[in-house]
Parts: sequence; structure tokens; C-alpha cells
Amino acid sequence: MSVAGETLAGAGDLTLRKTRESLWSKARYKFRHDVWGMVALGIVLVYFVIALGVWLGIWGQGWSAVGGEKWGSMSAEYWFGTNIIGQDVYDRAIYSIKTAFEIGLVVAVLSTVMGAVLGAIAGFFQGSWTDEVILWLMGVLDSIPFYLFVAAVAFALGGYAYSMHLAMIAVFWTITARLVRGEVIKLKNFEFVEAAHAIGVPHFLIIFRHIMPNTLHILLVQSTIVFVAAIKTEVILSFLGLGVKDGVSWGLMIAESTQEVLAGHFNNFVAASVLMFGLVMAFNMFADSLQDALDPKKVS
Amino acid sequence: MADTTPLLEVRNLTVEFRTEHGIARAVDNISFDVGFGEALGVVGESGCGKSVTALAILGLIPSPPGRIAAGSIKLNGRELVGLPESKLRKIRGSEISMIFQEPMTALNPVFTVGNQMSDVLRRHKGLSRKQAREDAAELLRLVGIPDPKQRLREYPHELSGGMRQRVMIAMAVSCSPKLLIADEPTTALDVTTQAQVLEEINLLREKLGTAVLFITHDLGVIAELCDRAIVMYCGMIVEEAPIEPLYDRPRHPYTEGLLASIPRIRDRKLKRLPTIAGMVPDLLQLPDGCRFADRCEKATGRCQLEIPTLEGARKRKVACFHPVNG
Amino acid sequence: MMNETQPLLTVRNLKKYFPMKAGMFRKGTPLKAVDDVSFDLETGKTLGLVGESGCGKSTLGRAILRLHEPTSGEVILDSKPVTGVKHGALMLQRRKMQIIFQDPYASLNPRRTVYQTVREPLDIHKVGDPKERRHTVEILLERVGLRRQVMDRYPHEFSGGQRQRVGIARALALNPKFIVADEPVSALDVSVQSQVLNLIADLQKDMGIAFLFISHDLAVVQHVSDHVAVMYLGKLVEMGPAASIYKDPRHPYTQALLSAIPNPDPKHRKKHVVLSGDVPSPVNPPSGCPFHTRCPRVMDICKKETPVQTNQGNATNPHLVSCHLYS
Repeated sequence: MSVAGETLAGAGDLTLRKTRESLWSKARYKFRHDVWGMVALGIVLVYFVIALGVWLGIWGQGWSAVGGEKWGSMSAEYWFGTNIIGQDVYDRAIYSIKTAFEIGLVVAVLSTVMGAVLGAIAGFFQGSWTDEVILWLMGVLDSIPFYLFVAAVAFALGGYAYSMHLAMIAVFWTITARLVRGEVIKLKNFEFVEAAHAIGVPHFLIIFRHIMPNTLHILLVQSTIVFVAAIKTEVILSFLGLGVKDGVSWGLMIAESTQEVLAGHFNNFVAASVLMFGLVMAFNMFADSLQDALDPKKVS
Repeated sequence: MADTTPLLEVRNLTVEFRTEHGIARAVDNISFDVGFGEALGVVGESGCGKSVTALAILGLIPSPPGRIAAGSIKLNGRELVGLPESKLRKIRGSEISMIFQEPMTALNPVFTVGNQMSDVLRRHKGLSRKQAREDAAELLRLVGIPDPKQRLREYPHELSGGMRQRVMIAMAVSCSPKLLIADEPTTALDVTTQAQVLEEINLLREKLGTAVLFITHDLGVIAELCDRAIVMYCGMIVEEAPIEPLYDRPRHPYTEGLLASIPRIRDRKLKRLPTIAGMVPDLLQLPDGCRFADRCEKATGRCQLEIPTLEGARKRKVACFHPVNG
Repeated sequence: MMNETQPLLTVRNLKKYFPMKAGMFRKGTPLKAVDDVSFDLETGKTLGLVGESGCGKSTLGRAILRLHEPTSGEVILDSKPVTGVKHGALMLQRRKMQIIFQDPYASLNPRRTVYQTVREPLDIHKVGDPKERRHTVEILLERVGLRRQVMDRYPHEFSGGQRQRVGIARALALNPKFIVADEPVSALDVSVQSQVLNLIADLQKDMGIAFLFISHDLAVVQHVSDHVAVMYLGKLVEMGPAASIYKDPRHPYTQALLSAIPNPDPKHRKKHVVLSGDVPSPVNPPSGCPFHTRCPRVMDICKKETPVQTNQGNATNPHLVSCHLYS
């Protein structure tokens, strides 16, 4: 490491350490060396490509067409057989992947954004009335039984197609907000935040420019957790008749299958639950690996 | 100081850490001895490998990513490298013990000081509960803690930093170890508390005859406490000498620069503080030759190509092609 | 310190109390982190502020800059008040006063490049036109001994000393008249420490900046200070010209602090004046003189009465001591 020529301050502290590690580069390194994490990510990506194909209209389009016979068995035309009114179970199961991703992404992104903003504001103004109001709101939302809440929202919105999404966002953001609030309370005492105060940076800029970007690792992990939670919740809600109104989902398929299983037809049930299990399992493993990789305490 | 067989014999010790950018050799082929009852200082700046050396002696290198790649560590003639963890655990605490920089992390916050101390005494010495408690109080008195019976009932967070460090010292010497490793034990303390703790360590050494391996970045502390010191730079020992000649006539340019740049109370304010230009090279991008060559005013072409070995008479060694004050 | 000319910075009876909760509804006795501190600082001079951890020295620095809102007292910078003014007036004062921090790892936002960090004060205060700002940042980095090529790098690519230089560049960006340096070198290695200390000394000489240099290390303070103040439990116990403080410390606490410094000279292993006990809690400070519980020269009066400040120097170079030994 050579010392460059003109040093005005009389010191040669000029060279950079090329190999100094940041949280992200370490996390990438750890994640790449996590075999199960990588496998899980691969599976999730396969699901994602299928969902994308459905969205682009490449496959899974025949989910509503009534073509086959009632409860037809597996065949070259109907890979997973048909349901009670003769719809293709394969197409319905594939289409449900798109539904699942749609719900997971919408709920994960919106609830994370909401949790991040409100949590950051609460944490930054810790102890003020703003903080009290946000904490009170979180307390109220957390204390309402979840399914009752969803039913109430669905009822209030009069069968609006996205009432399930809204209900989930309204409930899931509180967890993220609590985590972010705690982190922000820690971060706001960091010297770089004090430096911003000393310069005279306005509060909202301090929050969004200096504090929030440093909670990204929490948001990333939290959004993967919410993604999985949303998919699982959708299945339960659809099963209860509170869920997907327009289209098909694994939850609806399983609800349908309750009649069929008694009659000895398992096509709907197996297709929906196996696909859901695969996605939820893979996403959970991916979320765990991500958390391990990003956990600053485990980054030695 | 027994001259025949040393208490601790470190030979060609090399410790490596795996990182995403390659293997970092934190300690590179170092050898030194600690005599019975001797106080040896290990000085160097952050990242020079001094703490890793201590961890290696205790068998506490986190693995992975770290490992002892080569070398031997003998305590009282017994090889420590390669011993199973169960045996090492027995040696730690009874024959070697350690004081860390931050006592709060080394003490368990949910148990009282008395519980933790008597636990150690009962485990290593097989004392009864009552006897252990009495011994613990006696130890606290030994390290200058007033009202030791009361302190035994307190939790670590109820004690001040200086008190905690004394409790750590009391625990460390409780099984009369032959070697005490102190890793920056006073760095987290205030000057006035540091003076108290250093004095306690000195008194203990006189009373118990424990050898001390004192690791610090503070040359002032070494001067007050040690008989001999080794200076480390980038994982290597660059100089080894008894204290007085080391401070009087340092041979290695790094030691000389380090001594000159310590801020110290001077009779007259200097216009400029002497400095060492540049900075410590990255362990992953070490130069081919002497690791100090790029910061050294005396460096020649040879220094850029060849690594100097630690040479000299028994107690006065230097690793430099162009030693100063010679 | 107290000349006829108007000092750059005047601090009068500054107090910062932190409320402590004793119970759910009861307010406890406040923690008196800074208790009635007054001093003046002239343009281009450095006041070294020394004390042990928890004595309130960092809080004092932050209260002067209103990073902690002072409980009471007055701060005047460049003939204009800092305390008791509204946002707009405070923003104008912020351009004249800055801070350098201790921890080179916590003081830079890890998600922002060096360029963004150093440029931010220029943007906030709209200094020059936006195109010039890049050039200004280049000049600032060069001034603190960093190459302009490092501008687009993130903090994790730098060593501790380099980060500290970036922090200094940020503080210099608004061309301030007064900088609080809060333990700026205590987290650095010895050889880097002296590089940064020299840099601070250079800046002071070339740019005429006044510094409040906070440190626990009397040896570091000596190198940069014109005057030295010693703080104990929220109060200044001794303050005077640096030479006089080091040659002839009056307060027993200052004497003990000086004596406790380990001497890097094995031939003169000195006998330290070892203080007994620990610093008492600032929530419940001792009555009378706050130092009486540890003072080797304690008298009866020390436990009862708070000592008054007396001048042990002369009128032009006051050496102020708060100790009953001199009253």
C-alpha cells in the first residue's frame, strides 16, 4: 500500500481497503454458501416463473372452462383430472399460483411499507403523542380476533374483491411497525443521526434519508415472512368463504374438495395442498436463510 | 524468572481465518516464551494479531472460520494444540485464566457475583458451598474491594466498571492459575480507575507469583507493569526486548514510531506530533516483503522483497534489515 | 480568556438536567448532567474539556449546540444567541457551529457515499449553486487528506482514521467558526491518532476555527489546547491556561488525573496518587463539594458547603479553581 504524493494534512492515510466487508456483501456471501437457502430460492423462482406465465396468458388460462366430465380422472388432456363441474384441476392449480403470488406480493409490499413508515415515525418521535397514537392503533388492531376482523371488513366493504387484502394489510403491518420502531429508537441515537441534526437536516429527511434505509434488512426479512403468512391466510379465508371472490385459489379448491373427498375424489385436494405446501415450505426456508444471512449478530 | 524451562512456550504459531475474500493469516509464525512469574507485554495496534494469539493459547479460536494452521503451544511442557475441548476447559480457569476488556460481557447478568464466584471455586476446587462463599469473599478483599460480603450479594449491573473488572480479576485468580492472560483489561476504564486496577494486578503478581501475559495497545501500561514485551505488527513479532532497553533504544522502526507517537504529557507543547505515515496493510493484501516496508523511512529494495526474520541475542530480538539505534 | 474583545462563544450558567422517572406518576430527582457551567472561548482558540466517563462533558458539548435542549442558561455564538431562538435563527447559527464525533463507525451513515455525506450540509444550507458543490466537496476532501477518487465509496471501505477524516470534512463543509470535537481520536490506533490530531491542529491554524476539544485523555488534550477545563459530576472544577494547568494543577482532582496517566517510561515508574472509590452517581451527587467523597485532602467544610470559584492566576490569565483549599 503506497502513500500517494501530496498530503496536505501531513498524513498518508489515503489508500482504501478493497476488501472491507459491508453488511450486504457478507450477507450475499453467507447466503450463497447456504445450500438449503439456495435450493429454496430456486424452488420459489420456479413457482414465480409459472405465476408469471399465467399472468402473461401463456398457460393456466383454461381454469374456468367447463370441458370435461364430472370428476374425470387423470388423462393426457386433464393431467390432474377434472372437478365436480368438469373444470381442469391442473389449470386451476396452476392459476392459483398466480393468485397466491398476487396476494402475497400485494400484502407483503403494502403492509411492509405501512409498517416501515409508521414504525419509523413512532420510533423517531418516541414518547410523543404521535408515538402514543400509533402504539394505541397497533394495540387495538392486535387485540381484535383476526377472522372476526376480516369478516367485518368484508361485510363493511360489501363484497369488494380486495377486502381480504385490505384486512390482511391492516393487521400484518403492526408486527413490522413494532420491529422498525425498536430499530429506529436504536438508530436515532447513532452519531450519524446526531450529525444530521447538527447540520440542520429537517426531521422528515432524517427519517427517510438517514434512518429508514438502515432498516432495510429488517424490512426484507419481514416482507418474506408476511408473504408466506398472507398465502396461508388466504387459503383459510377462502375456505371459510371470506377470501378470493374473483378467480380461483388453493383455498377455494380445498373448500370445493370437502365435498369430493367424502365421495373418494382427491384430485382437487391433493393438487392444491401439495403445491401450496411446496411454495410455503420453500419460501419459509428462504426467509430463514435470509434472516441468518442478514442478522448482524451472526455476521462475525 | 526461571531461565531453564519456560512456563509457556509458543513455537511457530500460525492462525488463519477464512473470509469471503480468501484466507487471512491473523498470526503468522510467531514464537515466544513466558517464564514462571514473568509479566510479558504484547503490544500492537488493532488487527496486529495480539488478541488472536491470546485466544489461541486458551484454545478459544472460533472455528470455523478460524483455525490454528501450524505451530505448538506448550504450557509447562504439555502441548495444548490439538487437545480435546473437555481437557482444554479443565486447563482454562485452573492453569490459565483470562481477563477481558469488557467485564460486563464476561459476567452473567442474571446471577449474583457471589453465585458466579463460588460456582467457579466449587467446580475447579471441589469446595463446599459455605467454604466457596468464604473463599470468594477473601478473594474480593484481595483485589481491594471494600465490604466484600455485601458485594457477593450484588448483581454485575450494580457494580461500577472498575469494580466489575476487579471481580473478573478475583475470579481469574481464584484457582491460583500459573498464567493470567489480560486482554486490554483497562481499556474500557477511566484513567483513575485504570490506575487502581493496574496497581491491584501488580500487587497480586507479587503475592501469588502468577505469570501475566498482558495484551494492550497502550505502551504506557506496558511500561508500568511488564518485565519484557513483544511488539506485533500484521500478525508477526517485529521486536522482543526487556522493557527498559525497548523504551530506551527501540531497534525496530515501527517500535520507534509507535513510541514517538504516543500522546504524553510533555513539558512543552510540540508543534507537531510525530506520526507513522500511512496505515496498516490489509491482512488479505499483504506485501511480499517486510510488512512495515511501505510505512518505513529506512526501507530499501530488499525490504520490499524479503521478510526479515526475528533475530538477535536471547532476550533482545528484532525483525528488521536496517534496525535503528544499533 | 475574559478580554475586553467580545469572545466568539459565551456560555453562561448552562444546565442540562435529564428527568428521571421514579414511579409511574412521580417525577424523580433529575440527573444533573451539566450543572451551571460558564466559560468563554475566543476565535481560533481551543478549550480542552477533560473528565471521566459520565461527568457530563459530552452532554455539555451537545447542549451548547442544542443537540440536547439545555434546561436553562445561555449560549451566545458570534454575538448572536443560540439558546432561546426559533428554528430559523437556529438554522443560521448551525452554519457556524459543527461537531466531530468519537466513533468513526457510528458517525457516518453506512448507506451514503462519502460524496453524499460531505455534500449534505451544502445542500441543506444552499451554499453556492448546485454545480459548484461537487467541486467544494473535492476541495474539502483534499483538505482533510483524502483523494477525490474516494468520493463515491461507502464508509465500510475506509479505515477508522479515514472515516474520521470524512467526518471532519463534513463538519468543515459550512465553514464553521466553532467546532465541538467529542473524543475525536480516542477510538483510533496510536499511530493514526497523532495523524488526526495534527490535522485538527492544522485546520485550526489555517482556518481560525475555535474548538471545544472533549477528551478523557489529558495527554491528548495538551497537544491541542490553549486552555483546559476539568469537569467532575457536571461541574467545572478547574479551568485555566493549558500551561498553567499542566505545570501547576490546583484542584486535587486535576492532580489525581494527571498522576494517574500511565507513564511510557519504565525507568520512572511513578507512584500514582490513586483515588479511592468510584465516581458517585450524578442522580444523587454528594453534598457540598462533589469531589469530597474521593478527595485525598478532604476537610470538614467540603462536606457541607459547595466551594466558590476563585482565581488563582492573574487578571489577564485567570486560573479558576472551585476548591475550599483556596478559599
